[in-house]
Amino acid sequence: MEGGRVKNPELIIIGAGPAGIAAALEAARAGVAVKILDENPKCGGRIYGQLNDGFKLLNPGFLGPDYAKGKVLLAEFDAIRAKIDYLHDALVFATFENRIMAFHQAGKGQRLAFNKLILATGAYDRPVPFPGWTLPGVLTAGGAQTLVKMQRVLPGKNILFAGTGPLQLVVANQVLDGGGKVEAILEAGEINNWLKLLKGFSRNWGLLTDGLQYIRAIRKAGVPLLRRHMILEARGDRQVEEAVIAEVDKDWRAIEKTRRVLKVDTICLGYGLVPSVELTRLVGCQHRYAPDLGGWVPARNEDMETSVPGVFAVGDGAGVAGSAMAMFEGRIAGISTAQSLGYISAEEARKRKKPYLNDMKKLGRLRDALDRISYPRPGLFELAHDDTIICRCEELTLGDIKSAIAEGTIEMNALKRMTRMGMGRCQGRMCAPAVQEIIAGQSRIPAAEIEYLNQRPPTKLVPIDVLESLPGEFEIRHGW
Amino acid sequence: MTQDLRIRKDVQRGQAFEIEVDGLPVVAYEGETVAAALMAAGIRTTNQTARGDEPRGVCCGIGLCYGCTMVIDGVPNTRTCQTLAQPGMRLETQKGLQRWKVAE
Repeated sequence: MEGGRVKNPELIIIGAGPAGIAAALEAARAGVAVKILDENPKCGGRIYGQLNDGFKLLNPGFLGPDYAKGKVLLAEFDAIRAKIDYLHDALVFATFENRIMAFHQAGKGQRLAFNKLILATGAYDRPVPFPGWTLPGVLTAGGAQTLVKMQRVLPGKNILFAGTGPLQLVVANQVLDGGGKVEAILEAGEINNWLKLLKGFSRNWGLLTDGLQYIRAIRKAGVPLLRRHMILEARGDRQVEEAVIAEVDKDWRAIEKTRRVLKVDTICLGYGLVPSVELTRLVGCQHRYAPDLGGWVPARNEDMETSVPGVFAVGDGAGVAGSAMAMFEGRIAGISTAQSLGYISAEEARKRKKPYLNDMKKLGRLRDALDRISYPRPGLFELAHDDTIICRCEELTLGDIKSAIAEGTIEMNALKRMTRMGMGRCQGRMCAPAVQEIIAGQSRIPAAEIEYLNQRPPTKLVPIDVLESLPGEFEIRHGW
Repeated sequence: MTQDLRIRKDVQRGQAFEIEVDGLPVVAYEGETVAAALMAAGIRTTNQTARGDEPRGVCCGIGLCYGCTMVIDGVPNTRTCQTLAQPGMRLETQKGLQRWKVAE
């Protein structure tokens, strides 16, 4: 469904997942003229995404409890959509000096001026290089979930899950529910800890009782759920045929004598998510390195405003904390922009924010505790061998990266210039998060002190005729 | 219907049709991505890398990694996970980066 037409939008929102939608709702409800751009054909983001046209949903059960929560939010969005200018299939790929952005829709480049901007760009699965991770049959847990949930196709016949935290349990359940075979689920962390945690919090959030249900279903299906285990290697001729796994210590380093081989044809990796900060970086927001939140995240105040005045960042793209937190953050940012544009008083804004702030505080404590168990430990970045591909696009190995580091290159941008690391089509998304940690491990410099890759437009690949069709001139931001 | 990896419960699929993969017919349904149709048929290698000539396939599933690219209707480097299957679509396993066709 299309949105309404809004003349001269006062607020631009990028991303129509839980965070972006929640922000749009609150702002539009207060009277703000909102325009929301989303690169996907349907709103809802990864978690509340809807099936493509052609599929008819007979029973939403397999979509899980998230679907029900998403439905409530999407219904709220539907009710106010006539007042919101919602553009789907609209990819924002650049921002420029003087608060101008460029987006791509239906083969045409367009420019758009912004004053207030809310970035709700989401996150993607953390890429983890290990021997064999480039073989067909190795997927991210999120990728597998998209296949199972949105396309109703199993990712393979004998599936191994390896990762940490609740997401891989959710996906494993969806695979089992669809009649797939899960050989085992490897949890790198100490699962008993987070079971205890979930129990402590289960009264407040449905999602936590959901977590316990997932574990029960997995046990009932007879699938081994191995705590403190990791994948070390994927092997196979032209695709995955077996997986080498082992027990790991508290730093996630393999205990060698526990090594064993599983016959599987598919490996799903669920080592958490990395925030998509391309646009917050491009706009010039200050960032900090927060491994517990997925990596580089924009610094924000309590209104979700970044260091660039009028630019807000919400949801997993501003620090991975899940869909419930994303919605709260979105609402806060929506209310804040409504206040700063003069639609509601400071008093009214405070009143509207209050329930969400309370929930956020409670949920935040739980997130902190979960993060302490699931944030990546050093062993995760030591799995690659010298001949393991790190940069998939340019086919650079760990050996290539290490020789550049040995020559004194301990800065990401210099490493990029020397080796072409991060210069391929994925634009560093699949290698940079790991390389950051690899440099830290090799150089003994803390990862937080290693400058990240510079961000330049376009943030995603766009056809050259789209660039050609862009009207007017653009001034690139100083510092690129 | 031959065995494939499609899950048949809880959804009803639309119209079935054929696409062509390296000259062979593969079934796809309305609303399916090319990647999903290939995975369902057990076809995993979408391209061979430029330098190492290694097989690659669907990895991130959300259009970021470019692992699943193929030559689709003559256009190389097309992400199968972001492309809806269309009747009569012709796919080729990509070798290296291949060449872009330049318009006359």
